[in-house]
Amino acid sequence: MLRRLFGAGVIAGVVLVGVSAPSAVAQDDPVTMTIGLMQDMSSPNVTVGYLVPEFEVWNLQYATLTSKAADDFSTIPGLAESWVESNGGLTYAYTLREGLLWSDGTPLTADDIAYTINRSRDEEWYNHFSTVENLDAVVIDDRTVEITSSVPDPKLPTMDVYIVPKHIYEPISFDDLESYEALDGVSSGPYSLTEWRSGQDWTMVKNPLYFGRDNGIDRLVFRVFSNADAMVAALQRGEIDAAHNFNASSVEQLENDSNITVVAGLQGGFTELALNGMAGGIGDGNPALQNIDVRHAIFHAIDRNVLFDRVALGLGSIGTTLSPSADPTWIPDLGDGAFAYDPARSAELLEGAGYIDSDGDGIRETPDGEPFVLRYIIRSESTDAAPIAEFITGWLEAVGIGTETTVMDDTQLYDVSVAGEYDMFAWGWTPYVDPDPMLSYFTCDQVTYDADEAGYNDANWCDPAYDELYLQQKVELDPVKRREIVAEMLRFFNTNSTYLVLLQDPDLQAYRTDRFEGWLQQPAETGPVLFTNSSPTYESLTVIGTEPTLISEDTTEGTTAAGDDTATGDTAAPGDTAATGDTAAPGDAVIAPAPDGTDGSGDADDGGSNTGLIVGIIAAVLVLGGGGFFLAKRRGSVDDRE
Amino acid sequence: MSDVVKTQTTTFSPRSFRWQRRRAATVDFWSRFRGDRLALFGLAVLLTFIVMAIGAPWISPKEGLSAVDSIDNPTWATPRFDYPFGTDNLGRSVAAQFVWGSRVSLWVGLSATVLTIAIGSAVGVTAGFFGRWTDATLMRLTDWFLVIPFLPLAIVLASVLDRSLRNVVLVIAITSWPGTARLVRAQVLTVKQRLFVDRARALGASRFHVIRRHILPNVAPLILANVTLAVPISILTETTLAFLGLGDPKRPSWGKTLEEAFNAGAISRNAWWYYLPAGAGIVIVVLAFTLVGRAVEEILDPRLREGGL
Amino acid sequence: MRARFVAGKVFGAFGTLVFVLVFNFFLFRVVNDDPTGKLFRGRNLSQDQLDRRRREFNLDGSKFEQFIAYLKQTMRGNLGDSFLSRRPVTTEIREALWPTIALVGTSTILSMLIGIMLGIAAGWRRRSGTDVAATSFSMFTYSVPDFWLGMVLLAFFAVKWPWFPTGGFEDAGSTATGFSALLDQAHHMALPCITLTLAYIGEYMIVMRSSLLDTVNEDFLQLARAKGLRDVVVRRRHAVPNALLPVVSLSALNFGYVLSGAIAVEAIYSWPGIGQATLEAIRGPDFPMLQGLFLLLSGSMILANLAVDLLYSLLDPRVRGR
Repeated sequence: MLRRLFGAGVIAGVVLVGVSAPSAVAQDDPVTMTIGLMQDMSSPNVTVGYLVPEFEVWNLQYATLTSKAADDFSTIPGLAESWVESNGGLTYAYTLREGLLWSDGTPLTADDIAYTINRSRDEEWYNHFSTVENLDAVVIDDRTVEITSSVPDPKLPTMDVYIVPKHIYEPISFDDLESYEALDGVSSGPYSLTEWRSGQDWTMVKNPLYFGRDNGIDRLVFRVFSNADAMVAALQRGEIDAAHNFNASSVEQLENDSNITVVAGLQGGFTELALNGMAGGIGDGNPALQNIDVRHAIFHAIDRNVLFDRVALGLGSIGTTLSPSADPTWIPDLGDGAFAYDPARSAELLEGAGYIDSDGDGIRETPDGEPFVLRYIIRSESTDAAPIAEFITGWLEAVGIGTETTVMDDTQLYDVSVAGEYDMFAWGWTPYVDPDPMLSYFTCDQVTYDADEAGYNDANWCDPAYDELYLQQKVELDPVKRREIVAEMLRFFNTNSTYLVLLQDPDLQAYRTDRFEGWLQQPAETGPVLFTNSSPTYESLTVIGTEPTLISEDTTEGTTAAGDDTATGDTAAPGDTAATGDTAAPGDAVIAPAPDGTDGSGDADDGGSNTGLIVGIIAAVLVLGGGGFFLAKRRGSVDDRE
Repeated sequence: MSDVVKTQTTTFSPRSFRWQRRRAATVDFWSRFRGDRLALFGLAVLLTFIVMAIGAPWISPKEGLSAVDSIDNPTWATPRFDYPFGTDNLGRSVAAQFVWGSRVSLWVGLSATVLTIAIGSAVGVTAGFFGRWTDATLMRLTDWFLVIPFLPLAIVLASVLDRSLRNVVLVIAITSWPGTARLVRAQVLTVKQRLFVDRARALGASRFHVIRRHILPNVAPLILANVTLAVPISILTETTLAFLGLGDPKRPSWGKTLEEAFNAGAISRNAWWYYLPAGAGIVIVVLAFTLVGRAVEEILDPRLREGGL
Repeated sequence: MRARFVAGKVFGAFGTLVFVLVFNFFLFRVVNDDPTGKLFRGRNLSQDQLDRRRREFNLDGSKFEQFIAYLKQTMRGNLGDSFLSRRPVTTEIREALWPTIALVGTSTILSMLIGIMLGIAAGWRRRSGTDVAATSFSMFTYSVPDFWLGMVLLAFFAVKWPWFPTGGFEDAGSTATGFSALLDQAHHMALPCITLTLAYIGEYMIVMRSSLLDTVNEDFLQLARAKGLRDVVVRRRHAVPNALLPVVSLSALNFGYVLSGAIAVEAIYSWPGIGQATLEAIRGPDFPMLQGLFLLLSGSMILANLAVDLLYSLLDPRVRGR
């Protein structure tokens, strides 16, 4: 259920590493980048958290063995600089970079890697388990770790689980782990979390011992807004440097702002209309939905173009079929397999199935003579849910299907969805990079027959033919063949399942262009810049008006080794883009209003906030003055007393 | 008709006497009420809104509320001839939402108030009349409910129950009856002191009879005054609940319009036509009820007859 | 006599507190009898682990045993851990407390002062121009939904003319300290504070006005006038102090509401206070947090009521004698 919220939830190889300490020394004012978002963390503890915001924190704090390229998610070096396959693809030996250190100065060795993989497997850590379930890690020497899978695993050699510091985690027992606050700040990525004020913001500071590139930004502040409009306004005023997840209706106004760039990035997230398939007879769904013609009639009644124009405001794209991966190339061409808007066809299918409006009230009757009315559940936690419901119920009524709507929050909806106590709802998923997890959710295994072992299959649709294909792709080590199997699964799913994918949802993000540059989309061109799979953008950013070379001079002593690595290991992706970003810098900087990067955002809104301050002060003086006058008069009256 | 009345008057039955007295009281009430120009103005405003609420289907076709039927409309249109209050993010007419919203807001305001007053009066009369441990128990309960923070409790209840108008009415009544109960009990206690109650009891009248014939008629004016003053609170509560997303998703109340406007980003694009009418509607109706309510209270509540506002 | 009165009141308040504890517990347990499933959704927990978690959150045993455990824990000042953040509820509440107290406290005081002044001006010269203006203004603000007022102010004074920040308690990640931090917070607080102040003024003004009207006809005022005191002196020295009593008790009561009064306004201005915490906890639903919040809010109401009772007995001899 939670995985729906995963968003960027890719157990990703972060590009970076690092903790607090020096860099701020020389400067009076640390260079701070502030990012606004609409959601707080649930927990910064990797064994507990499950929301998008903490994945960004982990991506920045915990480097992974292998990382993912910014443009296409291909596997690139992370903590490991190289790896060797053996044993027919079952075993990989990874060699770590030289001189790796945790931000507190402790050496980062193969022991940390093996410890994390083995312990998370034994204790079934929530975010690690699907990757490490069949793995076993053995330390060969300080810089070499050997990982063996007990079954063929097409995901290898990608090893994108967050590596935690053994010296911090070893003393924490399994029982205490769940309540561990995880504010230790020990990091192997470019930043480390130092402070979290629940409901307000959290702060990450630069890790000076990080092996990758130093971007010149000393602190990242993530500020939680409860109101998207307020966040947009804060961005325009320069209170924040970037904003994540605002309303589509704000896009137009942001695009008109010359200092702001809007990105509607796709990373596989989609919104679907789910009908209750009642697999195995669970729940109390409307039996009419068992009839595939009725389902197709419902699909044909819905105009996804209108939803795209009116609800998504033309951002993202129209849904075609299940999108199993953050990488869009996994979706096959469906040909004519998509359900076009065709109310006539819809009516024809319903009549053919025996659903006819015999009493003329506009609502068809089922073959049993009952009015054909479906229950529609509206999510309370999405602002788009109500308009989507508005349209879908309207279209269904137009073809003679009645609807009853109820509102539920995500917790309630999750409960009724796995219990099969609904007829339809619209909700969304965000897939990982590897398609396996998303595909697994619609197998019979994931139907919740026992409430204590809830599965992910919220459509309660499953089919042995689909399960068969699923098992085939799971152990297929040939990437080309695997793609073919997955394509076949998706075509089958599209025709037979109870899901209609409505929209590919963009992550709406915007950033100011006057303070930082080098923003990076993942995947290239279509993806978002923040809260992405492996968060490569941070390492490619530069402060406008500063010389990147100067920053690297800052890093002295033990970090020289890390500097070397930057030159070699990073060449693949982030390094490249960062380089091009840098060259563009001087030109941009001329246009930028703030010559000195450190207080650029301050300049942008000084005029406004001063006016506000003045007005505020005047108001306070008036109020206090009035009160003082009142009190003074009273005192006067005391003097009056005879 | 007038004949009948006349004959009955001559026989002077207690029943006709009662009727006559009531009619006289009504005439008296109206002549006093008419003297208050502000209250008259408030009443006129209220009547206008009530006519609008009842006549909504003729004033503004229901299709105007439907996103599917508004597909061809422009979105975020500023007010103009065919859309007097502009359109929203889905192209729906804001004016249609305003007209239909008045229905829900007035209906919830009135029915929640009636339920509130009914519960409060029942508790207040029972406690005041029976006294002793009944009184002690009920008043303790009332005090307890008075202490529980009103809005948080309403929000918790509303989020637990299904989102429907009936439940919104229920939530408002459950959270706001204690005030009325206290007020009514105090009035019952003073009425009970009066001679005629003792006399009726001495003559062997049943408790029920005494409550119905002697207590209720004397407490009724106060209850009525309380009704007019409680409606604004009910309307404001409904609005707040709807704004927090706890209203009925299918009924376009003013609070829901404000919620949708806020969520759709009307503030940041400064689409004033979207969020101003619904808010203004609430202010006007609440103000009108307050004006009428104050006048009614002044006329009916003996304590306010002299002095007054 | 006095001691018995006070003791009675305190005892009554304590009884109410016990009721609140009971109500608090069962309201949320009735709503959802075993939230463990939701708490650990999706995590592969064995029956063993689930049982241990239940014990941790006092969810094992019968309702009655759970209740006793809850009472014991609460007596020790431990409100449990939040389901959502897993941090102690007391910590979570403490963090949310100050912003709300600052915001609602300031606006209560401001609206009280302004309301009283307007009330005096209006009540002393009944039906004068001042009276009509002040009364109309108060009735208007009394009729405005506070959150809508907040929306309008936000749209105009933070978006259209960006004089004020759009929300939050201070600039994000602000490192400012001392006076500049205070200034920054005041800047952020201005709009929500003005919203609440406007929303509260009406009540104080109306109560002050009618209380003054009641006083105007009392014998001692006639006497004071008969003594030939100037009108202003009569008002300041005799009328206003006597008329203040209801307003004082109203404001004492309102301070009980201070913590819970601004839910919708806090939502509009992203104000990280008790109201926001309540909304978030409801969304969870985070039962320990909700229970803690309800206890706090009800507790402050009980205290406020007690304070009003005692204050009355102190100021109004008629009550004392009863």
